[in-house]
Parts: sequence; C-alpha cells; structure tokens
Amino acid sequence: MTWTRRHILGLADFTTAEYDIVLQTAASFSDVLLRPMKKVPALQGRVVTNLFFESSTRTRSSFELAAKRLSADVMNFAAATSSITKGETILDTAKTYLAMDTDLMVVRHQHSGVPQAIADEMDRLGVQVGVLNAGDGQHEHPSQGLLDLFTICEVLDASKPRSELLAGKKIAIVGDILHSRVARSNIWSLTACGAEVHLAAPPTLLPKEFADFCEADPNRKLFIHWQLAPAIADADFVMTLRLQKERMSQHLLPSLREYYQAFGINRDRLQLCKPDVKVMHPGPTNRGVEITSDVMDDPIMSLVSKQVHNGIAIRMALLYLMGNLKS
Amino acid sequence: MNQILFRQVRYLDPVNGIDRVTDALVTNGILTKLQDDLQDCPVEATEQDGHGKILAPGLVDLYSHSGEPGREAEETMLSLLSAAAAGGFVRLNILPNTLPVIDNSAVVAKIQSLYQAAKTQLAYAPALAVWGALTHGVEGESMSDLQDLAGSGIVGFADGRPIDNLQLVQRLLEYLQPSQKPVMLWPLDRKLASGGVARMGSAALRLGLVGNPVCSETAALSPILEIVAELMVPVHIMRLSTARGVELVAAAQQRGLPVTASVTWLHLLGSTAILDSYDTSWRLDPPLGNEVDRLALVAGVKAGVIGAIAVDHSAHSYEDKKVGFGEAPAGAIGLELALPVLWEKLVVPGHLTALELWRGLNCGPAICCRSEVPQELVLFDPMVKWVANSQNLRSKSANTPWFDKIILGKVEILAVN
Repeated sequence: MTWTRRHILGLADFTTAEYDIVLQTAASFSDVLLRPMKKVPALQGRVVTNLFFESSTRTRSSFELAAKRLSADVMNFAAATSSITKGETILDTAKTYLAMDTDLMVVRHQHSGVPQAIADEMDRLGVQVGVLNAGDGQHEHPSQGLLDLFTICEVLDASKPRSELLAGKKIAIVGDILHSRVARSNIWSLTACGAEVHLAAPPTLLPKEFADFCEADPNRKLFIHWQLAPAIADADFVMTLRLQKERMSQHLLPSLREYYQAFGINRDRLQLCKPDVKVMHPGPTNRGVEITSDVMDDPIMSLVSKQVHNGIAIRMALLYLMGNLKS
Repeated sequence: MNQILFRQVRYLDPVNGIDRVTDALVTNGILTKLQDDLQDCPVEATEQDGHGKILAPGLVDLYSHSGEPGREAEETMLSLLSAAAAGGFVRLNILPNTLPVIDNSAVVAKIQSLYQAAKTQLAYAPALAVWGALTHGVEGESMSDLQDLAGSGIVGFADGRPIDNLQLVQRLLEYLQPSQKPVMLWPLDRKLASGGVARMGSAALRLGLVGNPVCSETAALSPILEIVAELMVPVHIMRLSTARGVELVAAAQQRGLPVTASVTWLHLLGSTAILDSYDTSWRLDPPLGNEVDRLALVAGVKAGVIGAIAVDHSAHSYEDKKVGFGEAPAGAIGLELALPVLWEKLVVPGHLTALELWRGLNCGPAICCRSEVPQELVLFDPMVKWVANSQNLRSKSANTPWFDKIILGKVEILAVN
C-alpha cells in the first residue's frame, strides 16, 4: 500500500494499513537517529511551517527538529507575538505562509477543528499543501497518538513495530479524559489495532457518553471505569494524563489530593497490573498528582523519555509521507 | 390595479386547512377568487400557468436580529428587509439587541425611522416590528422602561437572552399583565451550559467540542412553566432545542397553561453529527441538538406543540466567523433560505406536510406574537435552482452552511407596497 493521505487531521478514520506504514517509516527514521550523522535529505528544499496558535514548546521543538532532520527549511509562527491579535483570521495567517511557498503546515490551536478549516481552505484553493494537526482543542493530537503507538510496539517487538502486536493487550488510560485530545487520538489508534482500552477517571472527567465513543465500529473494545482498580487490573500498559489545576475551580474535582488518592499512579497500585507493566505520560507531568516521581523515573517501568525520543521519528515519518505524496 | 389569474396552482391556506390545486385570482397581491376552473376572469387580469407552483400567504418571522443600528457592516436595515422580502417574509419582528438596545421608546422611534428610510428604496418592504427589551440593556438585571415601551408600538417584550434571576422573571410577568403584549423568554441556565458549544453526547465528545447538557435548557424551562402556572399569564418559549424541552412544553399545554413555543429553522435541519465539518455557520446558541432532539422538534412542529418556526437570522462578518468553532459568535443568516431549504428537506421527503410547514411560518408565528395573520400572497416555485452566493443573496453577510451551494426553490412576494 502507498500513502494517499494529504492531511493528517486525526486518527478517527485511520486504517491499520496506514498505521503500519507510519510504524515502518518511523522505525527506519529511528535507525537514522542512532547514526552519528542524524540527517537525511528527504525534504531538502521543502518548507515546513509550524503554525502554533496555541503556545507549545515541547511539541513545536519536536516538529522543528523532525523537519530539520529531514533537511526541510522550517518557519515558526507563534500566535502570542503575531498579528493574529490584530484582526487577522486563521485563514489569513495560513495564506500568508502559503504565499511563502510552504509545502507542509503543522497546526496547533486551542479550538477543535481549526486544522481542518485550514486544510479545507488549502483544498479549496487547489494547492498541494498538507496540513498536520499538532493538537486542536479537545479534539485530536494524532502525532502524539502515533508516537504512543510506536512506543508500545517497540516494547512488544523492537525489531519490527507493527499494529498486530497490540491484539489482546490491555491498555488503561487514566486521568482527565474529558479535556484530553491525547486520550481521544489514543482511543482511536489503540482500539483500531486490536487493543482493549480501559478509561478511568471520576465521572466528571469521564462522562458516560464516552461508552459510545466508538459506536460506529462494534469491533473496537473500549470500556469506561469510574474507579481505578478494574481499569488497571492485569493491564500491559498504563497511560496517565496531565491534570490541570483549573479543574478544581470548574467544580470537576474537590482537590488534587483527593484525585491522587483515588487515581494517582504509584508503585503499590501498579501491583494490580501485569508484572512487566509499562507506564506512559504525554507530558508535562504533575509529579505527585497523576503519577509519583518514583514511578516516573523508574528506568524499567517508565516509557516517558522513550515517548519524547520517539516523537522525533514519528514526526519525521509523518512529514516524510505527506511531503512525498504524489500529486 | 394589478390582477393575475393563476391557472392550476397549488393553493395553501394554513388557517383554513386548504391545500389544493385550483385557479386563483390575485388582485394587488391578495386573493380575490378561488375556483377550480375559473371562467369569468376579468379582461385586465394576466394569466399565469401555476403548475408545480405554490400560492400561499406570506411568511412571518417571529424573531431575527437587525444589524442596524450598531453593526451596519454586517447587516443594514435595507439589506435585512431585502433579504426578508427575497425569502417570502411579509412580516419581520426583530430582537432588541441592537446598539443601542431597544429598551426605551426613543430607540423604537429610531428603528422606525430607519425602517421608513429603507422602505423608500425597496419595491416591496415587509412590515417590521420590534421586540422591546424586558431588561435594561438586555442584561437581565433590572426592568427596562416597560410602560414607555408598551406604548411605543412594539410587538411584545423579549430580551432574546436568558434572564438568570427567576424573581425578576416572575415580577416581569406580573407587571406586564395589563399591557396585553406577548412576552417571549429563552430558557437557558448559563451555569449549566458552562460555555458548551455542542449539545452534550458522543458526537460532541468525539469532535472535542465543549458539551452543553440538555438540562441547561430544561432546568431553566421548568421554573418558567411553574411561574406561568401560578400567574396564568401567557408566555412564549423561544429557541426550544431539546426533546425533553418539547415534552415539558407539551405537558404544560396539556395542563392548560398559556404557553406557546418556537424552534429555529436550523434546529429542524441539523444535529450534532453535522458538526464534523466544524463549519462555524452551524455554531448556534442553543447548540444544535442530537438527532433525537431534532426528530422531537420536527414532531413538535407537526403536533402543533411548537407553534412557530423562527429564522433567528443573525449576520456575522467573515472575519468574526473565520475562527475556531468554539470561539465563533453564534448565529447564521437564513431569511432567504429558510423556506426553500425547509421545503426540500422536510416537506418533500414527507416529514412535514406543506400545511404544517406553512403553519409554522405564517399563522403560527402571527398567533405567537398576537398579530394578524397576513393575507399578502407569495408564489413559491420549489423547482427553481439558484446559487446562494454573494451575487444572489441580499444579506450583507455570508454566514450560512448553504453559502455557495445550489438552493432548490425560489419565492416571490406578489403584493406591492
């Protein structure tokens, strides 16, 4: 199969064949990153623009490095210092960078749907520009979902990461699911690859309607839990999510302490999981709230640094696939 | 005198329940004779083939927003009236959230003078009335100058925004009893809505749009109905948008409470599933319901629980709407589109009969605002195709999901001012 997707806006409609292409491509770039000379000329002469309407350091750095490793020219747009506050629309901004011959746009926005609006506008203009969603509101964060998938596959078979490795694996996602675009992308990717996904959070952060999240595809296995123990029992992987402090003022939780007592991931609680359980976190972490430092820094159990590292290879793979699409 | 004889036209009269193909003589836009095979036609009358066309009384819009005064870049009085006329509306009732707000008689007079000035520039201008604000600045804090407004020729009282303070709602309904004017309220608990932009459900969660629970409408509606039950003063519930809301209104009507209700045309056509496109023209307040809500609203119109279909026409500029879905201002234009799109999507497939739709757009809203049912006729050709682009639309704004799309059906007002 060849890659046919011009834009990557979410993982909701990704096929397993597409996951496998991304995983294989990322694996080959992962090898490149082990070399002393970590750069390839795959996107030489091409322009990648990071349109970050919502501030971000980690994801933007990761995309920037990935593009540079592919030898692309990189431009960075940050809303805080731009004219977006002076009445310029998101489409005006995108068109400005289009006029500078951008080939690929990496878009982050605090509202869901903005990368899609930009992609629709590029298609309407008939230009061959790919749009990659780097996180939109509470909607999706596909590159994070894919790097998490890649990290899990590497644990299961480092020699050949592939989607079928996830069949029958139990993966728990714990934390503020309601507000998490990472959780949504992970639900799509992990269930598509055959894993059992168990969500765990208090009901205010995990509304019962999440049970119908994948209703269009009855083959996907998604379960919701308002208690931690059943979600992580015999789990192969436990993903935790960042808890924003503002959730208390929104009357969603009584206190961080109470949250930690019920849902915080520590070594004792992980006894319920498989003996070789791995713990993941998309970062940045609130140590002592959603995860203890002890677990976070455990070199055997924690995959957090590996996730960040794999982010480069995954983003190289995505930019490479989108950038080499035959028009 | 302008006389037209329509041969074999489909004539609709929702007040008398008439829907039949007939010959019809129309004089100065008013029906003067209806007969299956009209022979004694006046010589001065011009004959028109009416096959496939609908002859019916003109439409009444229960509530829409005027851009003028205050937001003339988005809509002027002239463009609003032109759009209404192009959509078959012969009566227009505008909400008080203009700048300045219509909360005293001076602003009513200002609107009327703007209307008179615009009218002179149009071949046909629909009648225009305004809803006077219930509260100062439509801020929901204190009563506006209600007696002053009541005597200024307003159609009735409404803020077009929720009033959080139930004591104020109760006192307003009590105080306004002698005015004999309709009072229109929007049931919305803003705390429960918590900034939600899509009706809570699995689709809102999938799309990552902040959810607005059904109870933000129903928890505000129930106490209004209790106040009505105690005072027994008529109230109109605007922008009903949920299945449970329809149930509550139906139950209140069955108890004999003097409650009428309306739905906006877009809530009959779209549901949360359509938000996949993140088209900000579908960003409405209240948000589109889930499919179960949409079906209940259509059934509510069919059963007569919901008496009126309002357009709630709301013009917004390109730059205001070209933002993220969650930060876009709510509302869409619709005066020129409501009839043809509702006809195509609801009448043609049989979800509503032609008379049920016409009731919702003609006598229903007239009854809800206690005004006369208009007799001016419109001719609607449901087969004419046109494109809703900036050349064809009279509105100054383009915030509609149908922009640049082909519309099936065009309406023409036969009356002359």
